[in-house]
Amino acid sequence: MIETQGLGKIYGRGLYALRDLNLTIDKGEFVFLTGPSGAGKSTLLRLLLLQERPTEGDVIVAGRNLSRLTRNEVQAYRRTVGFVFQDFKLIATKTVFENVSFALRVLGMPVEQQRRRTYQVLKWVGLQHRLNSRPDELSGGEQQRVAIARALVNEPHLVLADEPTGNLDPDLSLEIMNLFRDINASGTTVVVATHDRELIKWVGRRVVQLEHGQLAGLPEAPR
Amino acid sequence: MTGVGYAFEEAWASVRRAGRSAAVSIGTIAIAFVTLGGFLLVSVNVQRVLDRWLESAEMSVYLHDDLSEELRTGLELYLRQQVAVAAVEYVSKERALERFRADFPELLDVTTAVAQNPFPAVFEVRLRTEGMDASAVDDLTTGLAGRGGVADVRYDRRWLTRLTGIVTSARIAAAVIAGVLMLGAAFTVAAVVRLSLHARRAEIDIMQLVGAPFSYIRGPFIVEGLLLGGAGAAVALLLIGVLYSAVGRWLGPDLTGLAGAGQLHFLGLREGVIMILGGLAVGAAAGTVASRSAR
Repeated sequence: MIETQGLGKIYGRGLYALRDLNLTIDKGEFVFLTGPSGAGKSTLLRLLLLQERPTEGDVIVAGRNLSRLTRNEVQAYRRTVGFVFQDFKLIATKTVFENVSFALRVLGMPVEQQRRRTYQVLKWVGLQHRLNSRPDELSGGEQQRVAIARALVNEPHLVLADEPTGNLDPDLSLEIMNLFRDINASGTTVVVATHDRELIKWVGRRVVQLEHGQLAGLPEAPR
Repeated sequence: MTGVGYAFEEAWASVRRAGRSAAVSIGTIAIAFVTLGGFLLVSVNVQRVLDRWLESAEMSVYLHDDLSEELRTGLELYLRQQVAVAAVEYVSKERALERFRADFPELLDVTTAVAQNPFPAVFEVRLRTEGMDASAVDDLTTGLAGRGGVADVRYDRRWLTRLTGIVTSARIAAAVIAGVLMLGAAFTVAAVVRLSLHARRAEIDIMQLVGAPFSYIRGPFIVEGLLLGGAGAAVALLLIGVLYSAVGRWLGPDLTGLAGAGQLHFLGLREGVIMILGGLAVGAAAGTVASRSAR
């Protein structure tokens, strides 16, 4: 599903965020990216989401070399990827329902289909009773569930999450991780960047440890 | 929903949200187009008057009093053979005097006070207006001046041609001024579109991340510019209409009658459509430039 070959990202004057990273993630896998701050976790996710381009090497996702995609192909690729951020990135002026359906509306999906799929996915994350609430009326955990619903509504093959529980307390973090486990159980590849060791232990999936932009080893957590 | 439908829906919502800044931008476009349309209106009417005057322009060939009948007939024949000449009419001294008395009865005393008829005989020559350049008329004037019996040649078309040149120059100057104003208006539209782009930054980020097509990302901003530009041009057209009617009432029939124009004419459908399309184009171009940062 995901393969990086000699991947490198340099910022500013020769500062390596990632260096010679060779990594393979299989289709349907659940992988944690972990490591201290500045290890390159978020950079790798940004490269996978094509928010940035690599300085060196290649990123291949589902057989496509992301470095070679045109601007329109980048947009088409992103339609197959769901994303979840630590700060939720919800639109404050829209309701829960609108935040999620927006992801379908801007893809030109018919209104009826938008409504049906939005409702289904909000029900799946347990927010069917908060459809008309605005983000500032929700708890952190609920906001993150809205963000997850938005990531899933377009039925992506790959879900990327950057510190999705960074702003949540331990109980809510477990709740969110359960959602990611369920997403993965349906066959979607999930990559979660986190530095929360307790959470990683609790979920118990493959861990990719990064340090100074390089692989620090591939410890296998119990599955 | 199609990309176009989405773009119009979002653009309309954005214009309504923008409120005062949208009104300012429509106003600046309207000022530019009022300038352009005003000049267009004036120049259309002036041109109409000039065309009328040009069509009726005549060359007057004044003759010496002692001109023999033979020379006069020869001169008339010469005139009728010229390609630039459409018609020739001979007005004798006597007829010229009669015409003056008929046209200016209040000046009858002047004509009776002089012992002799002061009016010279004249050939009134109507010139062709179509397919004739100035050089043909110049050649005719030069040819006539060298012929015996000709006292003077007056051709009132020369100053009309000069006036036409001045009108053309004024029109070019107006176009340049309107162009500069329009550029300013385009910058205002771009600024307003940038403001709405800034206000919708979070949405744009999400649109990019979910892989929305660029037509969905940029379309609303281009349409917003289009709406502002079109509205500005429409307001300008309305203002010009109001001004036209006010000026027409103020001038009354006297000035228009004096100009021989019959009545003032408003901009035609073609000019109106060009103005609206121009406004739409300026707005859309400004919106396109402003929305580039949304890519």
